[in-house]
Amino acid sequence: MQDLFLLMRPRLLGFKNQLIRSGSSGKRRVLIMGGLGLAFCGGMFVLSSRVLIYFQSVEMIGDLLAQQLLSMVLLTFFSMLIFSNIITALSNLYLSKDLELCHSIPVSVEELFISRSLYTFVDSSWMVIIFALPIFLAYGYVYEPDLGFYLSLIHMNVAMAIIASCIGILLTMVLVHIFPAQRTKDIVLLLSIFMVVALYLLFRFLRPERLVNPEAFFSVAQYVSALKVPDSPFLPTHWITETLWAHLNPVEGRPAESGIEILLIWATAASAVVINVWIAHFIYFDGFSKSQEAKKRRAGGKRLLDLMIMSVSKPFGKDLSAIISKDIRSFFRDNTQWSQLLLLAALIVVYLYNFSVLPLDKSPIRLDFLQNELAFLNMGLAGFVLSALCTRFVFTAVSAEGEAYWIIRSSPLKLRRYLWGKYIFFVVPILILAEVLIVATNYLLDVTLFMMILSSVTIGFMAFGIVALGIGFGAIYPKFNHENIGQVSTGFGGFLYMIISSLFIGLIVILEAGPVYMLFMSQVRGSVISPIEWLFIVLSFSAVVVIIGVAIFRPMKAGLKALQGYE
Amino acid sequence: MIKLINLTKFYRGLRAVDRINLKIEKGVCFGFLGPNGAGKTTTIRMMAGVLKPTEGQIIINGHDLAKYPSAAKQCVGFIPDRPFMYEKLTGLEFLHFVAGLYGLDSTSMLNRRIGDLLGLFELKQREEELIESYSHGMKQRLIMCAALVHQPKVLIVDEPMVGLDPKGARLVKNIFREQAAEGTTIFMSTHSLEVAEEVCEEIAIIQEGRIIAHGTAGELREQAGMDGNLEDIFLRLTQER
Repeated sequence: MQDLFLLMRPRLLGFKNQLIRSGSSGKRRVLIMGGLGLAFCGGMFVLSSRVLIYFQSVEMIGDLLAQQLLSMVLLTFFSMLIFSNIITALSNLYLSKDLELCHSIPVSVEELFISRSLYTFVDSSWMVIIFALPIFLAYGYVYEPDLGFYLSLIHMNVAMAIIASCIGILLTMVLVHIFPAQRTKDIVLLLSIFMVVALYLLFRFLRPERLVNPEAFFSVAQYVSALKVPDSPFLPTHWITETLWAHLNPVEGRPAESGIEILLIWATAASAVVINVWIAHFIYFDGFSKSQEAKKRRAGGKRLLDLMIMSVSKPFGKDLSAIISKDIRSFFRDNTQWSQLLLLAALIVVYLYNFSVLPLDKSPIRLDFLQNELAFLNMGLAGFVLSALCTRFVFTAVSAEGEAYWIIRSSPLKLRRYLWGKYIFFVVPILILAEVLIVATNYLLDVTLFMMILSSVTIGFMAFGIVALGIGFGAIYPKFNHENIGQVSTGFGGFLYMIISSLFIGLIVILEAGPVYMLFMSQVRGSVISPIEWLFIVLSFSAVVVIIGVAIFRPMKAGLKALQGYE
Repeated sequence: MIKLINLTKFYRGLRAVDRINLKIEKGVCFGFLGPNGAGKTTTIRMMAGVLKPTEGQIIINGHDLAKYPSAAKQCVGFIPDRPFMYEKLTGLEFLHFVAGLYGLDSTSMLNRRIGDLLGLFELKQREEELIESYSHGMKQRLIMCAALVHQPKVLIVDEPMVGLDPKGARLVKNIFREQAAEGTTIFMSTHSLEVAEEVCEEIAIIQEGRIIAHGTAGELREQAGMDGNLEDIFLRLTQER
């Protein structure tokens, strides 16, 4: 037991030192992130409360809806926790750099396993639990239950997180044990991504929007059965739902049985811990040892990559061609990188699908007006999709050099050229993607030629700004000593980039809204635009041009300065 | 070939390198010695253009590194102490990548040069394998190939023998001697006093960011006021302060 505390000490001390020694910029970051997190939680609370209040007003099925929502929320968080634990366990139990030291010291495998499992439990659970809290608190606010609800909420969610952690860790141990050692990380991450894509597509193609329209169903019974969430009395989420619902709705609930469910969930959590430690005794060290073996030696798909690089890097100089070919090879040889393109493909398919199933004909608003309004909003939406994409791929472009960045820094390649080279390399595919998204959705919406041209041109220029912001912020907040490039985009810099690029997109859309409305209405009414209106239109579009210019050059300049001063 | 003028570096108020002045001629193999944390790596990283000096100047082959970084870096081959590279490239691809950074055309001459270097550092058999599968010593040898690929006039080396087996270490010492004989200036930091004594014509000892002794091995013996090997001299000079 003493060894277990010792194994946990570095993490606790590291956390303490980080808190004490973080400078003013570190404290500012914590404040900003904390403030945004609180705002998000507040928003979630308000939204959830409104939904629940609305449910309460629905006769007959209102409470059923609220109970189903609770069950659905718990099931979603439970799945998220398992998924998050798989990824974190892989890193904490098999890939962390300090594991070599830990395995070489005289402590038992079980204690090491428990300490790493605790890391995994905390790392993967805290955020999910915090973001789930406002939804549960909204239930408390709307249904005004007794104190037992809050007590059950806390301890049962902890028990659920322990069970999810054990399942995630067990799955990781088994996967590492089964698959060839040197491919473990790639295979687990690849499987996880396939799982997310499959779940995402499955959920979308179930068309949950039909549930908002009860008229589409023949009877109440059919509607209620469509609402049913996949549930089983063997699921921990079922036990929590039953217990919480008993407190929320004591008239119809079964408070007397709540004790059994509490017993069930904690007994399961305790058994899961014991089983995991027992299995770890047999397979954990074996898996760790395998994961230390030599990595893949041969480079796959060489000819195809050579061909791609030849065509892509031609217009650039020798130095930039070298960087581009290195980036392309590294990207396609790293399964964790290219596989994220699957997520992107799923995102685009669903994005386009959403537009294809919009029930425009059922709307009380005039069709041409609605089509053009949607096309206009679509510019903003497509902009957000692009900025999410850029957070993962463009923002990380500089950090992707990793600890080999010294090669760039000590070479004669000028940093300005390096940054603009990265910019040009990314802006072309992002621009193409932006235009495909906009033109395809506008085609599905059957918009006017004016709207088609306006949105294509706007999104084109927006893409230039979004990519520049990505490269610039990526250079201002580089993280070269990362273990996984995916972590870089979820840091403070990535978060800030998302906010700034969202503001940029919002500003462009707002500035264009007024003039577009004037032009559209003059067409609809057949009226002439007055000189003052023309002045307003010209000023608005000029402001758009200026903002796009600032968004391109300002972050690139700041990024260059930051990179020049980077030590 | 290399001139360091009042070179200074502060790290959060700490003076890591303190007004270093050095002048190293063409074809000289220069050893830079010092205890841990003395400022060797900081000096070397500034010379390689990876760190920005707080004060002072670095002149390489007549080019001021601060004013004309590209021209100065074009003359330099840098070998860091830790061989961080792009792990998803093969050894051969990595060398072509570095050649590209230095603006070399992908000609048959370059291919021959890369082939020769890979042969020299005994990596030819593994050139098509991903760097992530290389051992530490192999990575160190590949970094050396990369530093030599553009035939630099100045070679800046930080702890060259770390991770090398005796055969590799012998090979590297021979290559440094040959390079110096051909006119390449080598600035090398090392903990191995044996290597410094064997390879370097000129030696400087740095302690707490300052040069405390500078000269040939004979001149250092005079400064220390003792005979004996370089280890004894080093210990005497560094313990005196």
